[in-house]
Amino acid sequence: MRKSRWFGLALGAWAMLEMTTAAWTQAKIIGVEGTSFDLVARQDRITLGDGDSMLMWGFALGEGRMQYPGPTLILRQGDTVTVTLRNSLPREAGNVSIVFPGHEVTASGGVEGVLTREAPPDNTTVVTYTFTATRPGTYVYHSGTRPDLQVEMGLVGVIVVRPANPTPTPDCSPVPQGHNEAPPRSLCAGTKFAYDHPDTAYDREFLILMTDMDPRVHRLVEFGRIREIDTTNFFQTVWFANGRNFPDTIANAQVPWLPTQPYNALFLMHPGERLLVRMATLGRDPHPLHFHGNHVRVIAKDGVLLSSGLGAGSDLSYERYTVAVNPCETVDAIYTWTGALMGWDIYGHAPGDPLAPYEFIGDHGANFPVILPSRDDVKFGQLYSGSPFLGGEGFLPPEHAGLNVGGGFFYMWHSHTEKELTNNNVFPGGLITFLGVVPWNVPLESE
Amino acid sequence: MRWKRFLSIVALVSAVGLGIGVCSMAQSNFMVQCPADNDGIDADGDGDPTNDIVCKHLTAGDGFATMADGTVMYTFGFSEVPEDVPPGQVFALRQVKAELPGPTIVLREGQELYLNLTNVGMINRPDLFDTHSVHWHGIPNSGSIFDGLPESAPTVKIGATFPYYYATLGKEGTYFYHCHVEVTEHMQMGMIGQIYVLPRQDQDMVLRSSGNPPYAGFAYNDGDGSTGYHVSKAIQLAGFDSRFHAQHIAIQNLPFAQLKDDYHLMNGRGYPDTINPNLLGASPENNGHFSQRMDARIQARQGERVLLRVHNISTTHLFTVRVLGIPMKVVGIDGKLLRNGSKDLFYETSSLTIGGGQAADLLLDTTGVPPGTYFFYTTNLSELINGQEERGGIMTEIVVCPASGCGT
Ligand SMILES: [Cu+2]
Repeated sequence: MRKSRWFGLALGAWAMLEMTTAAWTQAKIIGVEGTSFDLVARQDRITLGDGDSMLMWGFALGEGRMQYPGPTLILRQGDTVTVTLRNSLPREAGNVSIVFPGHEVTASGGVEGVLTREAPPDNTTVVTYTFTATRPGTYVYHSGTRPDLQVEMGLVGVIVVRPANPTPTPDCSPVPQGHNEAPPRSLCAGTKFAYDHPDTAYDREFLILMTDMDPRVHRLVEFGRIREIDTTNFFQTVWFANGRNFPDTIANAQVPWLPTQPYNALFLMHPGERLLVRMATLGRDPHPLHFHGNHVRVIAKDGVLLSSGLGAGSDLSYERYTVAVNPCETVDAIYTWTGALMGWDIYGHAPGDPLAPYEFIGDHGANFPVILPSRDDVKFGQLYSGSPFLGGEGFLPPEHAGLNVGGGFFYMWHSHTEKELTNNNVFPGGLITFLGVVPWNVPLESE
Repeated sequence: MRWKRFLSIVALVSAVGLGIGVCSMAQSNFMVQCPADNDGIDADGDGDPTNDIVCKHLTAGDGFATMADGTVMYTFGFSEVPEDVPPGQVFALRQVKAELPGPTIVLREGQELYLNLTNVGMINRPDLFDTHSVHWHGIPNSGSIFDGLPESAPTVKIGATFPYYYATLGKEGTYFYHCHVEVTEHMQMGMIGQIYVLPRQDQDMVLRSSGNPPYAGFAYNDGDGSTGYHVSKAIQLAGFDSRFHAQHIAIQNLPFAQLKDDYHLMNGRGYPDTINPNLLGASPENNGHFSQRMDARIQARQGERVLLRVHNISTTHLFTVRVLGIPMKVVGIDGKLLRNGSKDLFYETSSLTIGGGQAADLLLDTTGVPPGTYFFYTTNLSELINGQEERGGIMTEIVVCPASGCGT
């Protein structure tokens, strides 16, 4: 259909751009570390998944360009952090401020606002926000001035606070060849922790900030008709993961053709690794984020470990196949995938073959259960390797983009309010991204 | 390395070919794969070692459903091929129409499911050549080949059949399935169905007899009978945007941006059709074929426990559901027992918010509940509608009978 062809074109174009870089390796949290950050509110443009260009207000780091979302601030627990804000927006945007939900903030400079001190649009006045990052976790920050308009316009960002306490003794045992229970142990339990407890160990971490947009608001701002904006009849038609719409969500981070949308939302892992998935929503609606491939275990909300008491770890954690993240809420979850109990050997092993790392012993050597239809009977997905096996390859039709180098299993992670999988009336788009489970012989960027 | 793997795959495929009882038929692409269960192992623990393989033959096509206010809506959907239809005639006879919801699939933990999906095309939209798929939403550790994503797997063209395979050991719980091709459109059009896996613990007669009266089964392998129930009902919350369906059959551009359900459904029906025990949907547009074959009535005797397996598959709405007058306990969410190690995370509530793609297992205890009619409905009052008609949408009735019985 028309829509599918568009999808093919978009992915194809994207794939060609990607060929100059190492595709499928760029997946991690990109942010700025430190204790002092100079943020400037600026106006600029972003590109939507359907190619449209949209006027935005957003945060820039110092003299850099505005970006959507704002810079991810990576803090260390216990640090006293200073964020300064200057307002370079056009005069009609009015004052701007920042609120940091979950932190006790002292604000100085600027002028008094409803929620905190604000910077007038004079490109000179500096407001200083100071807080101590007392607890590890995932947090958001956003404008506290007319948030109904300014959050919509893009003045949003995420804060990650890493735990300060010495972590428990690392147990960097070698990658086990096979296992017989699910879930597996971490590759190197003790290396990295989301919170101060071994339950929160992870091998890789990713961030997904979900936002939405009513383009009418942005057009009225652009045409100088800001007074006509009625935020009470807000109606979203575009949805974002880390400031991008699908398929841009799975392009590399920091690509030159998306200069104001530096973050991607591609998730990559090896079988058996533990992913820390940091989720956040800003905007109007909750987004039920559905995880293909496996459940996640939700370990924290709003930077608070789901724990019955000190030292109990995440004993109140729970598994979900869909996590609804409410506006201004954050959720941290651990995801892992081994293919256990699938009933067939996902590597296509014969019974005598050596085990793959974290391979589920119970399925080792088990036959593939069906005969796949002939190539004429099916349409091949752009992320299909041509083989049902992890690390496999096989026939793909000539027009196929061949994006799945290495034979990974690709799982869509997406909003299950399926309307949100569109960009302004065009499917597919919006709040779609992918997790790629790639075999251990395909190297992934270490963090 | 790669060459070796290729060789082993070829070897495997041919080996598998020998082991599978392939029905031969006029058109090879209607091949239905259903191996015999002759391994001698009683995988589901029910005492019969020959019934652990479940085979289903579903079609994906189109049809019409009738809303509670009489509006007939064009749909896409799944249907089950009756066993007496020769595979070669599935497509030719077109006798298998879209159902709303699709056929419910119930498995016993340990069973394996071979789900053969035949794309019979959209007879009312012959201009469309969409493929279809089955996505078993939420199954733990899925393999991408059987995950139904058109991006990461092959999906089946019109006139052909794709075999999906699922093992269920360790996967007891409440799930659902839907087509994942053009997913916003195909789900809104009705390609949705229920699937759940009964726990191995159902074979534990000692634990079952710990209920009074003995439990019919358990929601999960809880080890202590705490999820035991006497009556269960699976309820799918969904919705239709009438404009989207009207535009679709009129071959107009589909209004994705304006998408907003105005018919809210429980098992494919709005109240009061939810309590109608009859087959529905046999409109002239649907050639008299019943497309809505499932009600949402619930009936229990006082003192019994009712398990509601509820999920939301609306493409536009989150729902808050409530039962008035009967205590409700959440014992499972998203196909998992609400328990962490030995710590129970069950909780009692009178309402629960379920977003798209979420499921919950609710245990209603009718002990001491006076016999009468109780309502299970959404508290989002604007969703108690069938289009322009009030007092409809997501609502059904729970009839609590005297402990002595429900009579006739
Ligand atoms: Cu479909």
